[in-house]
Amino acid sequence: MDASLRGAQRLLGEWIPRIRAADGPGPTLETLPAAAESPRLEPAQTVEGALRTRAVPGEPRTVFGGFLDGTQASRIVTYVDAVPIVFATVAAVIRVRRDRRLVTYGQRPEVERGFYIPRLLVPAELWNAAVAGGYPVTDTSDDGRPISDDDPSSGRHPAALIERALQRVRDRRQALEHILAERWSAAEDSPLYIDGGLTGNRRVATATGNVGVVKRHRTLYVSAELMPVLAGLRPGERTTAFRIAPVSRTAVTSWYLRLRDSRGRDPTWGLVRIEVSETRADDITARADEVSRWVMAEAAPPAPLALPDPRWDTMAYGIRDCEEFLRAIT
Amino acid sequence: MGHDGVRYSRLRGVSTSDHIDGKPTGQTNGQTNGHANGQTNGRRDSETAGPLGRVVATERRPNTPHEFHFWTALDASVGIGTIVRVVGAHPVGGQLPVVYGVVVEGFSYTDLQSPLHDVLGHDGSPARGAFVGTDRTEIRLYTAAVLRQVPEEPLQPVPMGEVFLADDADVACALRMDAYLQSGTNTGIPVGVYHAGGTDAAIYADADFLLGPEAAHVTVTGVSGLATKTSAVEWLLASIFTHFPASKGSVAAVCFNVKGPDLCFLDQPAVELSDGDLALYDKLGVPARPFPQVHYYAPYTANGVALNTLRTHEALAHNTHPLVWGLQDVMEFADVLLTREDIDAKADALIDFIRESVVGHRFADDRLPRAYEVQSFSELNAWFADVLRMMEQTNSESWRTHHIATIRKIRNRLTNIAQRCAGLVTNDGVSRDLPWGDFADRTVYVIDVANLEEDAQDLIFARVVSTLRKKLEQRDLGVDHVIVFVDELNKYAPSDGPDTYVRKMLLDVAERGRYVGLVLFGAQQFRSQVHRRVIGNAGTQLFGRMDGDELATPGYAVLSPAVKTKLATLEKGQLMVRHPHFTQPVFVRFPRPAVLSGREGAERFPRSAEPPLEVAVTRSLRLLDPSVTLEWVKHVTGLYEPHEILRAKAQTELARPGDVRAFFKAQFRAVAPARTVARVTVPPAVHSAPEDDPYG
Repeated sequence: MDASLRGAQRLLGEWIPRIRAADGPGPTLETLPAAAESPRLEPAQTVEGALRTRAVPGEPRTVFGGFLDGTQASRIVTYVDAVPIVFATVAAVIRVRRDRRLVTYGQRPEVERGFYIPRLLVPAELWNAAVAGGYPVTDTSDDGRPISDDDPSSGRHPAALIERALQRVRDRRQALEHILAERWSAAEDSPLYIDGGLTGNRRVATATGNVGVVKRHRTLYVSAELMPVLAGLRPGERTTAFRIAPVSRTAVTSWYLRLRDSRGRDPTWGLVRIEVSETRADDITARADEVSRWVMAEAAPPAPLALPDPRWDTMAYGIRDCEEFLRAIT
Repeated sequence: MGHDGVRYSRLRGVSTSDHIDGKPTGQTNGQTNGHANGQTNGRRDSETAGPLGRVVATERRPNTPHEFHFWTALDASVGIGTIVRVVGAHPVGGQLPVVYGVVVEGFSYTDLQSPLHDVLGHDGSPARGAFVGTDRTEIRLYTAAVLRQVPEEPLQPVPMGEVFLADDADVACALRMDAYLQSGTNTGIPVGVYHAGGTDAAIYADADFLLGPEAAHVTVTGVSGLATKTSAVEWLLASIFTHFPASKGSVAAVCFNVKGPDLCFLDQPAVELSDGDLALYDKLGVPARPFPQVHYYAPYTANGVALNTLRTHEALAHNTHPLVWGLQDVMEFADVLLTREDIDAKADALIDFIRESVVGHRFADDRLPRAYEVQSFSELNAWFADVLRMMEQTNSESWRTHHIATIRKIRNRLTNIAQRCAGLVTNDGVSRDLPWGDFADRTVYVIDVANLEEDAQDLIFARVVSTLRKKLEQRDLGVDHVIVFVDELNKYAPSDGPDTYVRKMLLDVAERGRYVGLVLFGAQQFRSQVHRRVIGNAGTQLFGRMDGDELATPGYAVLSPAVKTKLATLEKGQLMVRHPHFTQPVFVRFPRPAVLSGREGAERFPRSAEPPLEVAVTRSLRLLDPSVTLEWVKHVTGLYEPHEILRAKAQTELARPGDVRAFFKAQFRAVAPARTVARVTVPPAVHSAPEDDPYG
């Protein structure tokens, strides 16, 4: 059993002796089936002419100085009157290349363990004891949507409370990633390979050295008519760039890049979407080609594959290394 | 010694108050007294340099009280045979556990789940690896066998902790050398230097376990030419002669040179020793010089003129002595030269009778024509002839219960010993032997048997070793301990084959020799082919480069595959040492012997051509009296047969008289000058008639 989880359960038992801790560590909440995000097409504003295929010129170049990724692991410590008390570990790390081997950037990774509790739904003695207990405590009911006003009937559903807690854990993990990305941008010149998008943080999204690489494609930024363009991308080809500007997030320049031959497979197999800071129109082509070469260098032979991770078709080895490192220490 | 027999303050009790919730808050109190033990500011040098690795254990690969695992950085200076120290994080009984181990296995792997993934990653092209921007995560994982745990009780599995490279003090503690290296009772004999990382630690064997009485005997195993078996023994002898405690008595060595010129130049300096060798000599406190006192012994060639050895150069003659035995010397060991078929009960009885009643005794029998005092093979032959003649004349089938056929067989077997061992065994009874009773401390006696027939070699082994044992038992040898070095032990004490006299003798030495100070140093290419009682009784075992087939035999099953691999690739000058105090073998480096190697010696001191008899005699007599000239020898010996001249030379060498010329001359029978003899008229024979001749 996870030592920190056991410690959390012990603390909880001290706070409210009548509470019985959940049996065993069990699987993390992140691995349990969750309501899937609806897939959708969301055409974006093109910034490099009409959406079309473009072969990336030149040879892949190894340029990234570091790789950034984060992990989270959440578990239910117990239920108090059907309210789940979640204990989560979030962590983020930048792994940098030293003599072609990956080591941790800075003194240490960012690791944080804490409780995620809906303050309004638990006894005050529990909340007060948790706050005084030493671990960070996050109020999952305080997210702008007070549970009592939102949907009193469904908001108290344990699954809804778990989803709410998971969202808070996810936010906290992204916050740690952003802290590291900002630290990198402030100190380093070489580009940083970030697993995921950049739009969630303005400083991260506007730093020119940050390159976000998105592997999941529940939202595709093309129209239905242009899907054949996306599906027809061959290895080493990209789409022309487009602008993504989500509501309340920072706009970025983005494009799709095919890393591996997907013939006979899912059209999104071997496909990544790259995000960089917004770029002037006359620089976009050169910039997109250059960044594509960097990303391809982390995926194309002879770069080590991220196998046996099932996402190896789109995952850089450096990102797998981040995940393995964080798994080892959390 | 401090608490629990631990010499180092670092290992002593630690207050549990130094820790909160079981987590260490700093180094132990015990470290504050570290200056006397090579520590600085409470920390060992190796700790100052930081840990080398960390102990790891998984359910599949757990640590045990005798084995643990640790990982290191890729560039860590660790290899098979490296000694490490683990410092546990949590006190046990108020004391931080410290575990010493020696690396016996190493593993390296990456996060690859299948080699195929690497092929895919390189697109099937190995050459593309040179351009890769990132190398896979890789691990160096080592398995170490526990050498020692402190405290020793309770004996627990090795705890998690930091791993440090062992320094000098650690090595001494790990190998339990601290028990016998204390000032005043130091019985350490340097066997080599352990080298790993920045550590160069002298490794000592315990004299009580090397030369007795606790344990004794050494075997050296390794392939020919590369294992440096002979060099290892030469080095070890030099080390023993330098460091054997005076309180333990005197020690000498008897070495049998069984092949080539291996041991023929122990008194000559090496051509050149490297700086590295000289540094090793310096570190181990052994002077880099040849043995100051060496005596060589060799039988004569079959014609008795020159010694049967490669050491015949005139410059080396001063300490090269003949080895010649007469009937009385070898009679006790006649069994050595008789085959199993020869020795039945009847033959045995007759040999005993001759040994106890005839040889060296006045013997008379009414039926024999005269009394006998048999001292030599010639006289024994004459005695046999008279006995057999008497039996034929009296038509007797037996004499004194011995059948005539048995007598004929034993006569044949005994009297041809001189022929079978020509040069070693003499017909005339004048013997030249080792200085029994006058063996000198720190002296090497080399007996060169390399050019002898197997019979003669066996006879020499048997008689020399048996006499050594007898003299040591009687405290009448001149020294308290004798090391007997026998090369090719698998030939003389084989694990299979007939139970020869020599094998029985070697087994006896191996099992009981240490009680009288007789120690066997044996070398062999195949340890598995040496009798297991000889191997089993060897307290210290040295291994040079080993043959793969030999390593595959059951005797090496206790060694890990990695240790076997290291043994199969050892460089010259490296040994693996097993010693009773060491719970695991340790690898050491020893210096090249400071003596002239056999090959170099043979080049520098080439073998002299066999000289004419007069020249050989002149050379021998000149050692006693430099005024002797060849002309004088020719003048004195001109009228005599070669065997008479050799006998006179031997008598003179044995007696070492004040007046060499007179003594030598007196050994020859008087020869009257030829004279004209007047013809004597002999009257015709007249047979007188018997008194009762009826025809007279």
